[in-house]
Amino acid sequence: MIGNTVTLACGAGGRQTAELIDRVFKAHFQNPYFTPDDAAVLDLPPGRLAMSTDGFIVSPAFFPGGNIGKLSICGTVNDLACMGARPLYMTCAFVIEEGFALDDLEKIAAAMEKTAKEAGVSLVAGDTKVAGRGQVDGVFITTTGIGLVPEGRRTGGALAKPGDKILVTGDIGRHGTAILLARDEFGIEADVTSDCAPLTKGVEAALSASDRVHVIRDATRGGVGTVLYEIAHQSDVGIRLDAEKVPVRPEVRGVCGMLGLEPLYLACEGRMVLFVDPEDADRVLEALRQSPYMEEAAVIGEVTADNRGRVVMMTEIGSQTLLPEPGNELLPRIC
Amino acid sequence: MENQKRTAREILTGYQGRPIRIMEVCGTHTHEIFRLGIRGLLSPDIHLISGPGCPVCVTPVDFIDEAVWLALERGVTICTFGDLVRVPGSRMSLAGARAKGAEVRVVYSPLDAAEHAEAHPEKEVVFLSVGFETTTPSSCLAVQMAMERGLKNFSLLTANKTMPAAYEAMAGATDLFLYPGHVHAITGTGDCRRMAEKGVSGVIAGFTAREILTALAVGVARFREGEPFFANCYPRVVTDEGAPAAVRLVNGMMEPCDARWRGIGVMKDSGMKLKEAYGAYDARVRYGIPAMEGRENPACRCGEVLQGRCLPSDCKVFGRGCTPEHPIGACMVSGEGACSAFYLYSQG
Repeated sequence: MIGNTVTLACGAGGRQTAELIDRVFKAHFQNPYFTPDDAAVLDLPPGRLAMSTDGFIVSPAFFPGGNIGKLSICGTVNDLACMGARPLYMTCAFVIEEGFALDDLEKIAAAMEKTAKEAGVSLVAGDTKVAGRGQVDGVFITTTGIGLVPEGRRTGGALAKPGDKILVTGDIGRHGTAILLARDEFGIEADVTSDCAPLTKGVEAALSASDRVHVIRDATRGGVGTVLYEIAHQSDVGIRLDAEKVPVRPEVRGVCGMLGLEPLYLACEGRMVLFVDPEDADRVLEALRQSPYMEEAAVIGEVTADNRGRVVMMTEIGSQTLLPEPGNELLPRIC
Repeated sequence: MENQKRTAREILTGYQGRPIRIMEVCGTHTHEIFRLGIRGLLSPDIHLISGPGCPVCVTPVDFIDEAVWLALERGVTICTFGDLVRVPGSRMSLAGARAKGAEVRVVYSPLDAAEHAEAHPEKEVVFLSVGFETTTPSSCLAVQMAMERGLKNFSLLTANKTMPAAYEAMAGATDLFLYPGHVHAITGTGDCRRMAEKGVSGVIAGFTAREILTALAVGVARFREGEPFFANCYPRVVTDEGAPAAVRLVNGMMEPCDARWRGIGVMKDSGMKLKEAYGAYDARVRYGIPAMEGRENPACRCGEVLQGRCLPSDCKVFGRGCTPEHPIGACMVSGEGACSAFYLYSQG
């Protein structure tokens, strides 16, 4: 019988491993494809597939608005959604530190179950390793997902065109701020919840509303500012950002003000940036606003033919300035 | 708001006449002016100069050398504001010392450093006390806390500075000072009034877009009238008397000393150090730090930049050898430094 914490024996492949898998993973990852065999055997619909993998090492593992389990599903399904893919199957690999509380592991698995269900994806295979104390910090999770890209969909970072409107699906910088505050290193108290969420439904709505959505990218590490620079370089276009239109919660702005941070560079885990043909922008905006987690979607700028590779910002006082290109990483271990 | 905004803008955009040089003394102003794109709004007859008001930028090389020596030769734990870690010393930065095994911790307040000392009685902890009148009181609070809690392992390596000497030294380089609101929230308006009496004009400015624009516009409008003047454009925070309790705290523990400013040299009575009675908390007394030579990179023109004598882009190494990733001079390290602001907002 295993106790209240994960032990090295839980990862040794024997009886205790089986118990851990039964108690934690099987209980939560129940679906017809979930397999006790060496590999899951899957049915695939015809068409093109998108596939993505991502490792999660966020510290702390539990934060306001989610935990590493929820994050590990959101991260991968959102990456798939960026390519217009509907997620089908996922796998997950856990590396757990010896002594990790079993209750916490269950909470993580439960969050994964709930989020996967919401995103309509099946967790079909998993792996568990236990590392000695100090060799990992708590728990690290890697997820891999595949999804189906319906016929006719084509999005990509190199496809932005001059004139495109730039949309963001909600207020920015909350995940980064929530993690920062959860680490309790600054003595600041503020009520900030991570925006961590699966965005499959909203992206589906946008792509149903228009077949001229050119770029979809999730604004994770480096935030919206980094995404804008990535697209400006990849598509070789300029970007005009209207700073006042970017939704930022007052509490996020407050924390950023105190610490000298710029919300545009802070991580989100439930926000997409979309580049849409100007004729379809209003329709896409409306579709996003009807979707979960995207009620506050907004148009924040547009693509220009000049200023290639640059993000020019219209400021709150009506002047123009260059958004500084993001440099050093702000904060390690945010996802 | 709309109306006021337009009026301030109109004054700044439409100004024609004798060219006016405005020195923003504070690094936060430099940064905000760039972030808000204010330079682009100004009439070509208005010239902004970034002055010596970023505490990291004016910290001399020998101070970094002292900190590196403490960390490597005496094995003390250095607690510091993050910006100082990458400032080049004569031989290495604190980041370099860390790579050689030194313990360098980034803290957000001197009190955090004192708390670290309390939690680790086995370590010797030194806080790098840099900054102007705004930050010096919190260093004194940390010493006070160390005394109250009987800490025997905490001290300050001071490079605290005061603004009035810098105002005097810079007076010839500018027609108008944009005075730092945070400093005068502590010291009050007396120093600015005295400068006006000596014929040097200035306005105290806050830090929002509206406050900066208003202060600039008031400054330009009054400059046109011709008489030396002083105006407090940040009255919601700055009062004539300032914050007497903070001033008392500092003057109780510290006394003026001559201080070296990077690129500018030694200015009389422009620094603050702990009084002899607090020698136990003065790292120089406690560890007998030897005199440091403080060799700056000769190619770096931070000193001239700080005095408004050249633009960052006039410096040979700006953007080539010297970038935020690989800074040569302190003005490129700090987010508030003029070189860093010029670099980030004019890249490409």
